[in-house]
Amino acid sequence: MTEKNINYFHQFILWFKNRWSTSPLFSIFIAFIVMVILQTIVLGFDYPSFGDWFTSWTNNWINILRNNASVAIVALGMTFVIMTGGIDLAVGATLVATGALTMTLLDIGANGFLNAIGITGWTAIFITIIVVILFGYLLGSLIGVTVTRGMVPPFIATLGAMMVFRSVTQHFMQGAAPRVPPEFLQIANFKIGNYMIMPIIYWILIAAVMYYISKRTIFGRQIIAVGSNERAARLSGINVKQVKYRVYALSGILVAIAAIIQVSRIGSMDFAGSGRGMEMDAIAAAVVGGTSMMGGRGFILGTVYGMLIIAVLNNLLNLFGVPPLLRDAFKGMIVIAAVLLQRKEKTA
Amino acid sequence: MLVELRNIQKSFGKNHVLKDVSLSIKAGEICALLGENGAGKSTLMNILGGIHQPDKGKLYINGAEVNLTGPEQSINMGISFIHQELNLINDLPIYENMFLERDYKKGFKRVQHQKMIQETKEIFERMHVDLDPRMLVKELDSSYKQIIEICRAISMNASVIIMDEPTTSLTDSEIERVFTMMRRLRDQQVGIIFISHKLKEVIEACDTYAVLRDGRLVSEGQVSDVTTKELARFMVGYDVRTDQLVQQRDRGEEILRAEKFTYNAAFSDITFSIHQGEVVGFTGLLGDGRSELFQSIFGANDISSGKLFLYGKEINIHTTMDAVKNGIAYLPRNRKENAIIKDMNILENSAIASWKRHAKWGIIQHSIHQEKLAALQKQLKIRMTDSSNSILNLSGGNQQKVVLAKWLSTDPRILILDNPTQGVDVGAKEDIYDIILRLADEGIGVIILSSEANEILRFCNRTYVMYHGQLQGELKGEAMNEQAIMELATGGDAFISTS
Repeated sequence: MTEKNINYFHQFILWFKNRWSTSPLFSIFIAFIVMVILQTIVLGFDYPSFGDWFTSWTNNWINILRNNASVAIVALGMTFVIMTGGIDLAVGATLVATGALTMTLLDIGANGFLNAIGITGWTAIFITIIVVILFGYLLGSLIGVTVTRGMVPPFIATLGAMMVFRSVTQHFMQGAAPRVPPEFLQIANFKIGNYMIMPIIYWILIAAVMYYISKRTIFGRQIIAVGSNERAARLSGINVKQVKYRVYALSGILVAIAAIIQVSRIGSMDFAGSGRGMEMDAIAAAVVGGTSMMGGRGFILGTVYGMLIIAVLNNLLNLFGVPPLLRDAFKGMIVIAAVLLQRKEKTA
Repeated sequence: MLVELRNIQKSFGKNHVLKDVSLSIKAGEICALLGENGAGKSTLMNILGGIHQPDKGKLYINGAEVNLTGPEQSINMGISFIHQELNLINDLPIYENMFLERDYKKGFKRVQHQKMIQETKEIFERMHVDLDPRMLVKELDSSYKQIIEICRAISMNASVIIMDEPTTSLTDSEIERVFTMMRRLRDQQVGIIFISHKLKEVIEACDTYAVLRDGRLVSEGQVSDVTTKELARFMVGYDVRTDQLVQQRDRGEEILRAEKFTYNAAFSDITFSIHQGEVVGFTGLLGDGRSELFQSIFGANDISSGKLFLYGKEINIHTTMDAVKNGIAYLPRNRKENAIIKDMNILENSAIASWKRHAKWGIIQHSIHQEKLAALQKQLKIRMTDSSNSILNLSGGNQQKVVLAKWLSTDPRILILDNPTQGVDVGAKEDIYDIILRLADEGIGVIILSSEANEILRFCNRTYVMYHGQLQGELKGEAMNEQAIMELATGGDAFISTS
């Protein structure tokens, strides 16, 4: 009997070792599970009933997920960009630019654009969403064109775009105090049952679409090809410039969606502070999730886990009462640790 | 006995790469180490170079047993490994390259340029090399780069030098230069292990040979006792044919015509045509511009000028996508850099060029590609277990066949093969020749780019010879022979035939 148990245990260890060394997503998933268990323990079981504990646990989780939905969506676009061997530092600035446009279009005050031409209510909201997404696409395209036609290295192109986008937004929005119509807040705050989970649903939907794109579509596979070996991709009949252009444009679209969610969640946006450091969080999520900064290797699912790991970590630090200014230090260490972990399994 | 490897065994996981191999090298001997890709040559040499450690077996250097734990130790014991990808920095002068591993490691000391130049000069004198140590490495041709590596090995007091396929990217005259160097080393009592797929060179340059097959030593002896044919048989285990493969077919209509193709310095004013049923060669020395020419035709360089006609109709090709759409396929040279996408599996590598043809709404139809690959696997004799494995698991020959499958699944009308048998072993080479001939039978226009006159002569109906970016001449029938090709490739014009 015991011998049999040992045998099963041994087999499990073998299976685990094999998965750990062959599937990068597996190790990330395990890391995530460990974080969740830790968080559950820290949260404690000191509740009058299981129901109370469960409600508290769930609410904590919904908070974590909802707070991170915008960055998580941006991180998905970032993953594609990094997979081609590029980087998009302009996501935070694009977020405030598209957010500013959202608010200007929807403003119910005297300066509101759609309000002034007599479009209000859900029609205005619908038009705004379309226009803002197109605007995000346009900003992403600008970067894409600079990188592909202008041959400017992505780091430089997006660093420049970051400064331009934010500076222009701040200049034109100074002194403005746009107010969005209350219906617009429903987009993020609509309750299903008793829970405000709309941002989480958007995140899941977009992640699912991005996952499908990366696995099954020509575009998704061409991203891998371009990131892995650009020359070979070109010599296989792939339009490398088009692929690169598209990942930046797609990143712009996703940032626009994130901006809409963010504005709708709180009804306003701080154009100086919002989205600052967002690029770093998005890159961190992708890297923790196993995406290689050299391009060619990346996982949408990994980025989802990566985002969750960073989010749970934040929550844990909060629960532990770590001073806010020290939290980035832990985040930084987690990012480096994640990459070290992946390096080890590669050579083994 | 300079170096002796005794009963070496080595496994990677379940893969037994070396099963009990013994090998010894004497001072002043050039030993050819032969074997197909995957036979275990690299592993054996990596053990000697200290990169891998054997599972079982012993290593003796100058009669004393040693335990090599790393490359540095191996170098200190006088073993130098010159890898196929040369370990030189193009933007540094020769003398700094000579001291790459050494002087810079000493830390904060000032780099002593004069001393390095002086020492380099002394070694060049000893080896009869006529080069200025201050030249940048990028100004040298491939043979001199090889020679710099050899000199560096000598400067580190190497008593055994391992050369891994040193002649692959060299022209005949450059090869001769390297051979002269090797003979000079032999005279100075250095032992050389020479790894090559080119059996003619082995006969020409080596004293002894050792053949590995499937991780075992199957034959060794004096080179003077064997022929290339026998060596080939030892390598693959059966007789390899060496006969002429040229077939006369009816020359059909014109498929492709290029007029006045020009691209800056790489090539200029190239006009040629290819008809149905023909296998046309393009040959010349390395750097004659033929790769650049066909990459331009394929749309990889978008600033070339010239006109291109497909079945008499002018076509415009600006990107490689346009070329694929028009039925032009290009199998590039240097598989690793130009053709293999290492982060994708075998199936994807074989399907990447034809995804667009079968996709619906941009969604890849993996099942169609799977069927196509299965069919091509039989035709091309690709040896693989599962198409979802990494492409890197395959041997060089099988990788090349997968790349070929990628182009065949686009149903090309014209197939350009740039150095198609590079890094491919003897058996797979013949498979690839067979495929090329069959394609020509089917009416596909086949263009072969190769520096090896032999290869061109064996199955091309006609050949163009290039020299410094110019089309130096066209040869066919009786006039097409090795001497005529060499004549044209080096700038002569005696043999131009008018068709």
